[in-house]
Amino acid sequence: MKITFVKKILSDGSPCAKCADVIGKLESSGQMARIDEVLVADERDPASPGMQIAKRFNVDRAPFFVVEKANEEPQIYTVYLKFVKEVLEQKTDENEELKEIMQNNSDLDFL
Amino acid sequence: MSSLNLLDLDNHLQTQTPQQILQFALKEFENIALSFSGAEDVVLVDMATKIRPDVGVFCLDTGRLHADTYQFIEKVRKHYNIKIDILFPDAEAVRNLVSSKGLFSFYEDNHQECCAIRKIGPLKKKLLTLDAWVTGQRKDQSPGTRASIPVIQDDKVFARPGETLTKFNPLANWTLQQVWNYIRAYEVPYNPLHDRGFISIGCEPCTRPVGPGQHEREGRWWWEEATKKECGLHATNLKDSH
Repeated sequence: MKITFVKKILSDGSPCAKCADVIGKLESSGQMARIDEVLVADERDPASPGMQIAKRFNVDRAPFFVVEKANEEPQIYTVYLKFVKEVLEQKTDENEELKEIMQNNSDLDFL
Repeated sequence: MSSLNLLDLDNHLQTQTPQQILQFALKEFENIALSFSGAEDVVLVDMATKIRPDVGVFCLDTGRLHADTYQFIEKVRKHYNIKIDILFPDAEAVRNLVSSKGLFSFYEDNHQECCAIRKIGPLKKKLLTLDAWVTGQRKDQSPGTRASIPVIQDDKVFARPGETLTKFNPLANWTLQQVWNYIRAYEVPYNPLHDRGFISIGCEPCTRPVGPGQHEREGRWWWEEATKKECGLHATNLKDSH
């Protein structure tokens, strides 16, 4: 299994706060050791590796994870806690996952 | 459907009418349901029941909707003779929230924690049972967050582990005016709150009527900043890059 983490740099050159938050969690929990590659999606550079992989998998937000297993379709995770639960198989707090979904998916506001 | 196919399909469906998009969605997926909020997205119920009379419809009952909205949901159920799956939040999660933070915590911090428990929890549970779902999301609802919503998308947030979930937004390219033109033309029943100045309708504490010239977004969570879009990747860059 190969896990790729994609973080974002905003169009004004500043780092994405959510990405920094997720990186902090990955590092403090030791989960960063499970990440094989970190790519940067630089909004100023469509050719940056992170922007290219986002385009390839039709992902419209960052951060996100790409999980590749032999003979299987790559899986994309845009919710950190869903990735932790389903890929790293670690226990997560359901309410925290729901909060993360709500915070990062403003399009759900009007449902 | 691969992501490449979805992009091609989206480009095609962007040019189609909501009815044509629904026709496609209901033909492609048997295990599909409409999310109905009890507001102007009733047009989707009207369109979908003309294609598949027993189409699945679900509502997120947060426990905080207007009395008129509950009456309206019941009216829609009877009018179209459909089964509406009313989804409720986890009682223990709601109890913990209101016990620790009170009944109106969203005014003090923001609406997201409450929405997560009352809407996203039951929505997530429901979507785990489906292969596809349909929403009434439109690009003109919130310029900051919906300017680029696709007509068809791979819903990576709510998909079952290792599987895919397809999301359709047939009204993505319709304006509010077009929705209302349809409601008037086909005499579709609508929530009476609309006649009292409500454009967008959600939970009672978080919805208010708006005045002339105000955007509908101003009637929702008006105490919060309207156009946060931290997590999106600039769509133009994604589409234009080679």
